[in-house]
Amino acid sequence: MKTVIEILTEIRPEFDFTASRDFIADGMLDSFDLVTLVAALDKNWGISIQGTDIVPENFQNLQTIEGLLRKSGAKP
Amino acid sequence: MTPIQKPSQVFDAVQRAKAGAAAFCTNFFPVESKLRGWIDHGELFAELRNGVAFFFRKDRDFLRFYFCAADVATLQREIAAWPGLKTEHVITDLVGNESTVNDLVSALEPAGFGRHTQLQRLVRTGRSESATDNPRVGFAEKADGRAVLGLIEDAFDRYGEQLPMLYEIEQAIEGRQILAARRDGELAGLLFFETQGLASTVRFWAVAEKFRDLKTGSALIRHYFKIHGAVRRFTLWVNARNENAIQKYRHFGYAPDGLIDQVLANRLIPA
Repeated sequence: MKTVIEILTEIRPEFDFTASRDFIADGMLDSFDLVTLVAALDKNWGISIQGTDIVPENFQNLQTIEGLLRKSGAKP
Repeated sequence: MTPIQKPSQVFDAVQRAKAGAAAFCTNFFPVESKLRGWIDHGELFAELRNGVAFFFRKDRDFLRFYFCAADVATLQREIAAWPGLKTEHVITDLVGNESTVNDLVSALEPAGFGRHTQLQRLVRTGRSESATDNPRVGFAEKADGRAVLGLIEDAFDRYGEQLPMLYEIEQAIEGRQILAARRDGELAGLLFFETQGLASTVRFWAVAEKFRDLKTGSALIRHYFKIHGAVRRFTLWVNARNENAIQKYRHFGYAPDGLIDQVLANRLIPA
């Protein structure tokens, strides 16, 4: 199983996600990337993230993404 | 169609359409700052139909159509029943990879939409090259607004390429988002960009016809890269049939990333 960082780096290899506190404000993820990221998280953890949870606030940094995963039933 | 008064109305309508959706589909990725501009200028309208949210943005003499639906079948049913499709000039954008987009095109074609044009996204990653200063290139100034709009409207398709309104250009000039190249006191070319953090998008890059072949475009984009030394990801959308533009972008390190924007038009829009 991949880590969240590994998944993010596969989507956007040009960025260092460990160095950012806000992926959205830093321009590291755009709305199209979020669609790709959700599909990858769903597949990796065998979950289905709810449409209502696909909002930028849940993808700001590693902590918020891991919080979303826990809410969706995964154990990151 | 009901005029939208505040961004929260949009987000509430989107959430209602999403709630319980098994295969939510949308072409609407609203950014609050843009929504505010559209609302302040009375351009944004909504229609809520049986759990589907339709949004319309008035753009010049036509409407841009956005949808949020629980699934494609629901979207197809409600768009076919929307009477405005027979009376209004309507454009819609479908963004995604080729197969996702084609599924949505198949859903919208029976309602009367046809393919208008296709854009493809190009991406360039890594550090910018350094460039020397060019005295002819600098930020556009307040007085350039109408000339910038005129050059953009002359060079691009208003249906296919989401052209800015004058107020958006004026805001962009104020925000130092438009580079201008001047020759003989005239606006010879421009490069309109949006930068957020480590990512930057070229929205429009154009050179006036009488100033072509003078390396004006090259000076503009080199200056753009020069002032974006910290940016790691450069993107843009280009008409997929514009081989000349694509060749130029490739020269500067851009390449397709597989994302397309299929622009559809209803039957009232001229081909």
